[in-house]
This record gives sequence, structure tokens and C-alpha cells, in this order.
Amino acid sequence: MRLPATFRISPRWAPYILISPFLVLFGVFSVFPLLFSFYLAFHSWEPTGGLQAMEYVGVANFAFALQDEWFWKALGNTAWLALASGLPQHLVGIPLAVFIHLSFKRLRVRDSVAGIYFLPFITSTVAITILFSSLYSTDYGLINAVLHTLFGTENIDWLGKPVYVKPTIAFIVFWRYLGFNVVLYLAALQAIPKDLYEAAEMDGAGRWHQFWCITLPSLRPMIFFGVTLSVIGGLQLFEEPFILTDKGRGGPDQAGMTSAIYLYRMAFDFNDFGGASAMSWLLFIIVALMTWLTNRAFRPHKGSV
Amino acid sequence: MSLIEPTTPTYLKKPAIQLSLRGIRKRYGSIEVIAGVDLDVHDGEFLVFVGPSGCGKSTMLRMIAGLENITEGELCINGVRANEIPPADRGAAMVFQSYALYPHMTVAENMGFSLRMSGLPRPQRNDQVRRAAQVLRITELLSRYPKELSGGQRQRVAIGRAIVREPKLFLFDEPLSNLDAALRVSMRVELSRLHKELGTTMIYVTHDHIEAMTMGTRIAVFNEGRIEQIGTPLDLYNFPANIFVASFLGAPRINLINQPAFGASEQHQELWNALTREAAPHVRHAAAYVAIRPDHLGIGAIGQGIAASVVMAEHLGDSSILYLSVDGIGGLIHAKVGAGHDYLVAGKSVGLMPDNAKVLTFDAASRRII
Repeated sequence: MRLPATFRISPRWAPYILISPFLVLFGVFSVFPLLFSFYLAFHSWEPTGGLQAMEYVGVANFAFALQDEWFWKALGNTAWLALASGLPQHLVGIPLAVFIHLSFKRLRVRDSVAGIYFLPFITSTVAITILFSSLYSTDYGLINAVLHTLFGTENIDWLGKPVYVKPTIAFIVFWRYLGFNVVLYLAALQAIPKDLYEAAEMDGAGRWHQFWCITLPSLRPMIFFGVTLSVIGGLQLFEEPFILTDKGRGGPDQAGMTSAIYLYRMAFDFNDFGGASAMSWLLFIIVALMTWLTNRAFRPHKGSV
Repeated sequence: MSLIEPTTPTYLKKPAIQLSLRGIRKRYGSIEVIAGVDLDVHDGEFLVFVGPSGCGKSTMLRMIAGLENITEGELCINGVRANEIPPADRGAAMVFQSYALYPHMTVAENMGFSLRMSGLPRPQRNDQVRRAAQVLRITELLSRYPKELSGGQRQRVAIGRAIVREPKLFLFDEPLSNLDAALRVSMRVELSRLHKELGTTMIYVTHDHIEAMTMGTRIAVFNEGRIEQIGTPLDLYNFPANIFVASFLGAPRINLINQPAFGASEQHQELWNALTREAAPHVRHAAAYVAIRPDHLGIGAIGQGIAASVVMAEHLGDSSILYLSVDGIGGLIHAKVGAGHDYLVAGKSVGLMPDNAKVLTFDAASRRII
């Protein structure tokens, strides 16, 4: 039964028409904001004044950001958090993956254990952070209760003191992404040929030497991938500190204010869309630079597989 | 091109080793892979483990190496029980089928790895690696990485890695399987020469009966976890202990004829009689199968010998392999004849004239009757 002419799509246009929903959404919600924010970065705009309130200011927004105390503080916080949450993800993740790989020979058991570690990654960040904020509560939190019982410590004001806020956030981020990295490394470990280890055993290498001389070098591509993800994710950290700190302001003395949070506040609390856009592009340059550096450090060289 | 220098440096002295295996069994859960093996490996011999896939020969090698546990039985090295001794302390070096070269280390680092593990300082390490590389003529490859090497080069590096350790025993696990045919032939020759030069005991696993026949001083034929027969290549070829060994060695496969039952065809009966004509009475009485090698079957004109017809002919230039069918016998008879038989094509009728002196007879339990 042939459809009436109005319903038929000509074969020449069919591909474009069929992918157009995605293209439209992508264009509206990704490409346009990207380009508009670049445009905005050179303007001063308070949105409540409507579109006509846009005023060209050249590089004033960038100049302001670069001498803004809070911008640098946020950048410093972000760097600290990215390192403190990112490094343990891999320093703990790799040995943990090796342990799971060696201890659980049966695939089902191994996958279940990896799955349990992976659960935090697929759970809502908001839910996790709300729960952790109650765990970290000064007077009623479980963590203080346990510490007091075990070590007799006084209640620590985790979320109220600047010096404790950052480790708290770092731990939550580490806890969330550890499983993700474990799954990545487990997959990479399974790709290492078994006879390399047997050859090493014949050559007299013990467990430690096998790990250091065979496992780690073979994991290099996956480490590169995982660290790149951690760097990119760490520099854009937003959700955990935003939910953990009061009204998303970044906590006491802005100790938990990351660049992304400051950027958000710039736009929606201080109503300076232009300034926020400029800052977001500065952040982009920094992320690109860090990714490039990571690339240089882990780039595959002649000796890799 | 020779694999090794004609005059091997004296530092590669030949250490002595004597292996004895008693009652070796290997089980994975309830599956028995090695079902009772007794074996003595003599010092300096080139012993080949040969057999079909899954027969347990690689498992046997790995148990000698120490990479697999021995479920039951005892392995003794130079009179000392070695079941629990770790692989690196058994004095053996292994060349893997896939070479197992460390991909992120140079050839020099690969070869020096075992010396590094044993704590030898770098200068001495480099010295020994260089000398082993000279023996194998891979000195110019020392700074390269495995992925930059050809298959043959990788194999020499794998052998070099084994030589550097100056082992008492070399273990080869199907090292030629991954090479192309031409390279395989030349490597076969070179490995034999390596054995002659070094004089070290070698155990070599292969599924290729040609490698077994040409390289081994002794062959052990494995089947389903047991050694069917062990002896020199020609011993096993001419005097196989049972049908399995007779069928496994030799290409094309030996022709196996079972005793004609009641109602068998005239040709089958005729062939049986022809093959058992010169057998002693007790042999003829107990015979359930007779076997004759393809090269011991003469081909004559129709009317001479037993009637057969050519189903397929392969002319190789220096010889021809004929696949013949005899009325009443299931399966094809293989015959191998010399040059000059190109006129034998599919469909042609011929006569089979077996060389009776070369017939092998087997009893109902597949054992050869002597």
C-alpha cells in the first residue's frame, strides 16, 4: 500500500530528515550555547535587562577574571580537589583491580565484585552527596560517632571548617569514581597475555616484579585514558561541592568553591553572564592545556604494545 | 643463513641434567589430562613430545617447567624431588609458542630480564646478552622492540632469552607453529644444529610428525594423556607398538585394512590374503588388522595384483600420491609412487602390488604382533 505523496520522503533527502531530530537538538542545546557563550564573553550582559542590555566590552571580562581573587582561589581549590580525588582513584584503583583480577578466577564472581564497586558511579550524585552530608554531620553524623568510639576524638566540624571541607569533598568524589576506574583496569588486565607472566615466572620474577615489569607497562594505555578522564572531570567538578556546601556558595571561606561553582554563581547569583562566559572559556583553555600535558606524559612510545 | 656461529664460545658449557618422571597424573577437577606417565630423560638428548591436539603433551612440558602443578606422581631432577621447586630454580628455560616477548622492553632487555631478576649487575648482564646475541646473530636487533621484528627474528630472540640463562634444560612449546612453511623448514635445521653445538638436553613439543621424525633423538608419542611409545624416530616408524603410533607417523597416513568379515567383497579378501601371505602362522591367526605404508604399495597395470581404481591423483613432480578405492573396502587406500606416473589420473583402473616384507600386523587390541 503506497502512502499518499505528502507522507513519502524522497530517498535523496531521507538521511538528512531522519537524523534531523538529533541535529536540531544538538544545534539548539550544544552548538548554539557554545557559540553564544563565546560571543557573550566579549559583552557585558545582565539578563534581566533583556537582549538590548548587551554591551560590547572587548576583553574586559577576561581581564577582570584574571585579576579576580576569587577566580584564582577557585582555580586553586579545583586543582587541589582534582589531585586529591583523582590520584587515589588510580593509586588505589590499579592495585584493587589487580587484586580482584588475581583473587576471583570465576568470571561471575569477579564481575559481581567489580559491579559492587561500580555502583556509586551509576548512582545519582545528588543522592550520594545528600547522604554523605548527613554522614559527615558534626553532631549527628555516623563518621564522627565511629571516630569518637574508636579513637575518642571530639566531633569534627567537617562541613563547617575550611580545612575539613576540601578533604570531605575529595573523599566523596574518590568514592564515586573508584569503581569506574576499577572496571576500566579490570578490562585492561584481562587483555594482557597470560604467557607473559609465565615467561616472567620462568625468568625468576616474583609477584612484585611481575606487577612492576609487566602489568604496569601493559596498563599504560588504559592509565592514559583513565587519567585523562580524571583530569577533565576533576577540573570541571561541580555537583559534589555544590550540594555539600550551604546553598551552593562554596562553603566556609569559599574553601569548597571550584571554578565551575564560581562560574555558576557568576552567572546566576551575580547575574553577570558576560563575566561567566569569559571565565568558562578561560577554564576551557586550562582543561585543554592539562589534557595536552597528560597526553605528552603518557603518549604511546615505541615500546608499547 | 646459519642461525648460530659455527664455533660456539666455551662459556656455553654443557651442564648435565637427568630427569625422571614416575606415575605422573594431572587432573583438572574430575577430568584427567595426564593418565599415568613414566619417563626418563637422558642427559643431552633431544626428546620430542608428539601427539594430536589435546593429548597432554603441552601439559606434560609445563609440569616439567613448573608452570603447572603435578596432581600425582614424582618428578626428579638429578635425583632430587622437584615437584615443589619453583620454575626459576629448576634450571630450565622455556621457549613459548607465541614467544612471549615482553612488548615494552627492547630485545636486549628481554634477553637480560632473567639475569636482572637474579641480581647480576648491569655490565655483566650486557656482556652475557651480547655474547648470546652473537651466537644467534641478532646483535643488530638488540635495541629494537619486539613489534618491530619479523616472526623469525622474534623466535631467535625468544631462543636467545633462553640461552642467556645457560640452562641445563631447554623446553620448546611448539615454537615453529607460528612460522610460514619455508621458515619452518630452515628453523628446523637450525634448531637441530643448535642442539648439536650446545649439547644441552632439549624437550620439544610439537603436533607435526615431520618435525618429530627429523629433529628428535627420541620421540614420545602421546595420546589421551598416556605415552603410546617412546624410542628413536626410525624405531617408531618401522616398528610401531600399536595402530595409533603407526597411523600418527608417516605421511600420507598408513593404510589400515581390517580382517574381512563374513560376506566381504572378493577384492577385500584378496587384499587381505596378499598382505598376510608371508606372515607366520601365529601372526596370521591373531591378526585383526594389517597395515602397509603408502610407499610400500606398488602400482601396476590392471590385472596385476588386486584391482583398484584411482579416485584422485596428486602429482608433485618428484612423486605422486594416489587415492585409490578397492571394492568392498570403506575409505581410500593411499599409495605413494615415484616420478613418471603422471599418466595415472582419476578413473583409471590399476592393480595393487604390496611389498609383503613391509606389512605390519595388529591384533584385536590394536597392538602390533611381533
